[in-house]
Amino acid sequence: MKYQLSNTTSSSDSVLGAVRSFWPLLRHQRAQLVGALVAVVLGSLANLLGPLVIGYTVDQFIETRNFGGVLQAGGVLLVIYIAAAIASYFQTSLMGAVGQRLLFTLRSEIFVKLQSLPLAFFQQNKVGDLISRINNDTDKLNQFFSQGLVQFMSNMFLMVGAAIFLLILNPRLGVAALLPAVVLFFLTQFLSAWIKQANAKSLRAVGGMSAEVSESLENFKLITVFNRRDYFRDRFSEVNEANYQSAISAGIANNTLIPIYGLASNIAQCVVLFYGLMLILQGNLSIGLLVSYVSYVNRFYDPIRQVASIWSTFQVALAGWDRIAEILGLHSDMEVTSTSAKTVAKKTELLRFDHVSFAYDQGKDVLHDISFTLQAGKTYAFVGPTGGGKTTIASLMSRLFDPTKGRVLLEGQDIRSISSQTRTQKIGFILQEPFLFSGTIGENILYGNKEFGQLSPKELEKVLADFGLADLLKRFPHGLDVTVGSKGQSLSLGQQQLIAFIRAVLRKPRLLILDEATANIDTMTEQLLDEILAKLSKETTKVIIAHRFNTIENADEIFFVNAGQVKKAGSLKHAMELLLKEKRGS
Amino acid sequence: MPKTTAHQLASPQANVFALLSRYRTYSIFLILFTILANGLGLLVPRVIAAGIDTFSLTQTVPNSLIWEASAIIAGIFVFSFAQNVLQTFASERVARDLRNELAAKISRQDNSTIEKLTPAVLLTNLTSDIDAIKTFIAQAVAGIVSSLLLIIGSSILLLITDWKLALVVLLIIPIIGIAFRVIFSRVQTLFIKGQEVIDWLNKVINESILGSGLIRILDSQNQENNKFAQANQAATETGMKILGYFSSLIPIITFTGSLAVLAIVVLGGNFVINGEMTLGSFTAFNSYVSILIFPIIMIGFMSNVIARSAASYGRIQAVLQTPDPIEAGTLSADHLQGKIEAKNVSLLLGPKTILKDASFTIKAGTRTALIGPTAAGKTQLLSLLVGLIPPTSGSITFDGKKISEYDRTSLFRRVGMVFQESVVFNMTIRENINFSQDISDEALQKAIQTAELSSFIESLPKGLETVISERGTSLSGGQKQRLMLARALALNPQVLFLDDFTARVDLKTERKILKNVQQNYPDITLISVTQKIASVQDYDQILLLMEGEIIAKGTHQQLLQDSPEYIQMYESQKSTSQYEVSTE
Repeated sequence: MKYQLSNTTSSSDSVLGAVRSFWPLLRHQRAQLVGALVAVVLGSLANLLGPLVIGYTVDQFIETRNFGGVLQAGGVLLVIYIAAAIASYFQTSLMGAVGQRLLFTLRSEIFVKLQSLPLAFFQQNKVGDLISRINNDTDKLNQFFSQGLVQFMSNMFLMVGAAIFLLILNPRLGVAALLPAVVLFFLTQFLSAWIKQANAKSLRAVGGMSAEVSESLENFKLITVFNRRDYFRDRFSEVNEANYQSAISAGIANNTLIPIYGLASNIAQCVVLFYGLMLILQGNLSIGLLVSYVSYVNRFYDPIRQVASIWSTFQVALAGWDRIAEILGLHSDMEVTSTSAKTVAKKTELLRFDHVSFAYDQGKDVLHDISFTLQAGKTYAFVGPTGGGKTTIASLMSRLFDPTKGRVLLEGQDIRSISSQTRTQKIGFILQEPFLFSGTIGENILYGNKEFGQLSPKELEKVLADFGLADLLKRFPHGLDVTVGSKGQSLSLGQQQLIAFIRAVLRKPRLLILDEATANIDTMTEQLLDEILAKLSKETTKVIIAHRFNTIENADEIFFVNAGQVKKAGSLKHAMELLLKEKRGS
Repeated sequence: MPKTTAHQLASPQANVFALLSRYRTYSIFLILFTILANGLGLLVPRVIAAGIDTFSLTQTVPNSLIWEASAIIAGIFVFSFAQNVLQTFASERVARDLRNELAAKISRQDNSTIEKLTPAVLLTNLTSDIDAIKTFIAQAVAGIVSSLLLIIGSSILLLITDWKLALVVLLIIPIIGIAFRVIFSRVQTLFIKGQEVIDWLNKVINESILGSGLIRILDSQNQENNKFAQANQAATETGMKILGYFSSLIPIITFTGSLAVLAIVVLGGNFVINGEMTLGSFTAFNSYVSILIFPIIMIGFMSNVIARSAASYGRIQAVLQTPDPIEAGTLSADHLQGKIEAKNVSLLLGPKTILKDASFTIKAGTRTALIGPTAAGKTQLLSLLVGLIPPTSGSITFDGKKISEYDRTSLFRRVGMVFQESVVFNMTIRENINFSQDISDEALQKAIQTAELSSFIESLPKGLETVISERGTSLSGGQKQRLMLARALALNPQVLFLDDFTARVDLKTERKILKNVQQNYPDITLISVTQKIASVQDYDQILLLMEGEIIAKGTHQQLLQDSPEYIQMYESQKSTSQYEVSTE
């Protein structure tokens, strides 16, 4: 049940390990990657070839005053430049497309993963941080892939070529020239962990800031009424400041390599110069060769300096990947188990709690060793003081959570072994707090409904009439085409509860759970709901959780829930007495 | 080129650069360090040349030259380090300040404006949009400055060396400029679209998390996945389109640059052959052109960053330019008595009539109930009374003065409000209750005791310091609602609005709480929206609201005589009321 995403980073993870772990996300783009690589090689070759042709032209044609030759060389150059332009086009577009598709795959993977995780995950993590992981962190990977990787490859290519050339031209000078690069190599290895750490911290701060923003903005009404605009500003400026500090550290870490690489490049030139002069004194080198050698050294260090900034982009991407991989690595502990042997149950038995205990997140038991049976077609009421465990029982009935001990049996079968589709078809649960998606009222009523999902507004009205729900439409005087926001701002809570009610009834569940689902609906409308409930199919079992006793008058059986225990109350009167007498358990 | 750039940058995205003028010191030093680092860099070849020259004459290298070389190398390192550090500071500073500015702007808005702008968009503004601007400052500023310098410098050198050939070579600049402009204007709208798609993604993710319980009950994960795939697809398509433009722009720039080289080889070659140009000038020309082309390509890459940040900055500006709500009220509510009067109040939302011509008076220190069926307009009436939304016509007064005349802050200090929806923040219970500032410990304890939260809080190992999870998932509905009440009471308000707050609190607790309120806050003016007639029978006034109209008002006894609708409602609740009476 531990779904809380950690806020620490694993710095020990090797680069190779990370690459290996996200390779599956790239594998299907192998062809594009190879194509881009070919374009990189061809582009680099064209770029090397150009100066050679020019040099040849100067020596062979211009100095010999052969303009025809110059024109011919010009033609060759034109071909080379066109080839380079084409290669450059494919480089950018292929690699960019790889990045975009990777971004698409990553976002989908995370989102689909989130959907596969149980409710507990969402109770333990913050909205804003998750959004940040899906949008911001994935973009860091995209940036590396679409911009960094191709340059990284072409620079590596140029660098290796230049290194080989330097070593062949003069092994001793070559070693001297490459020595600073070796130091750089080890220094980069050494600094990478720090760079990644700093970026990981920064990405975390971005997530934290995003969490703060979404929490405040979603609850802005309260902030205005309680005069806490300053509170919003202060809290924000606090996370903003934290974000600023960590971003500065990350920025400095990302930018250290660049001047250091520049320094190494300059040192290398001087080393070559002075060592070269020494070699000349010893008679092992000519001045002419030294002059050209010094310029060749740049051919090696220019790409290396490019790599310096790309390497930081890479570290940022790795830090982002860690945060993404953390979500992708989570597994639901509420998978459907293989069908267990069906316990023989009486035909009339719909749902049974068999010695069920439950605790949230390894805390104290909220429910302790509960057993009861619900018969098909009956109406049950669960009453008790707030915080007594009623909602938890309802959540276990609909398998939003699994019991820590014991079993919940639906029609004699362990609920854990029933597919989510079958389970959710049979069990309707109207939550305490209604939720609306942005869209029209009609769309919200039909949300998640496979049978009626495609109905036009007209057809929907007819279906509602068939279900005896037509009278409820009067509570939506402006029709079902009205658009509502995600918090249902333009609707009252009572109206939202009505939508939730209609949505659940239209699914024709065998077990319908109402968790204070009508608490904000007036009593007259509620009577209407009672009539609708009464008219539901005889097989429909109803579980009603309520404080208002008029809603439970007609219950066949009343359970009293307190302090994690459930007992039969017998009559409504007895339930009342229990409620007034018992001390609230918390 | 400079002219083209300036012009082209002046049109839609001039404002991004305008942003820099507010950070003059940073900008000046950033430019200075950039120039120093790059300028010193140009000296390195000279030092090497000097070394070789001296050596070939004297067979030795003077110590002074070694020192000079070391100094230059160290200087480059120091200045480029300083440039990089300053770049980081400047970009993060700009980002931080913009965020604070945006947050301050947001904090001044009404709730309705926030809902209209939508939290999803504001979240993108505060994160992704500002990130784009940050990248612009971090990468583009120094990049553009050094590029322009190199372009101008090498152009001058070219013109000095051979103006005829130089003019031909410099022809590439307007060509590249035009390519930039064409692609830029198209990409600009795409970048704006790209940010809007991020808003969309934010919204889908947000709803899928807030509605995670419902989704799991309805087994509608696939529906959510499809919604997300749609937004994700749109994001990829926009990204691909932008990519399409840039992957053509970059080869166009490089190719045009290469054409300049070609021109030199052919034309320059011709000049040399005809004796109009020396071979030395020709060689120099070639190397200057390579200096010229690199920064042009650089700007090509930067244009991506500039276009994106310009699009984002436009979005941020749009929010920053939202007019602040007019808050002309100056009246202090410190000595509020609590008399409330509504005169002919109507509320229209678009063509819909929500409230029609409501008039009533609430005397200070009395208790008033507002009842009526679902969707009658009770919550909206309450919002009007609190001043969250203004009435379309009519007036609402507190102690005889219109709400708009009051200083909003001062009024909210004396008016407590408990909403229907429970809103708890991810912080400790103490901070959740102490939400408004400067609450004395005494007021806090009184509020907790009144809301019947004492035993619950005592049962927690960390008591008041227990941290509540985001969206309060660790609390029951009733506990959250009582927390909301305590929060409102901690203000020690003169007027208390309760919107159906007992809906999730059990009977026994509700009675206790209402008794506590009467005892502990005897002078309070209470306006309570409720469904339960039983709990408001002894109130001073009951307002019956139906379909946006107040159809009856009076005490319970009066209404039982006058209002058939009230009687009907009363009858519908009677059976349970008897239970409640019998158990008392």
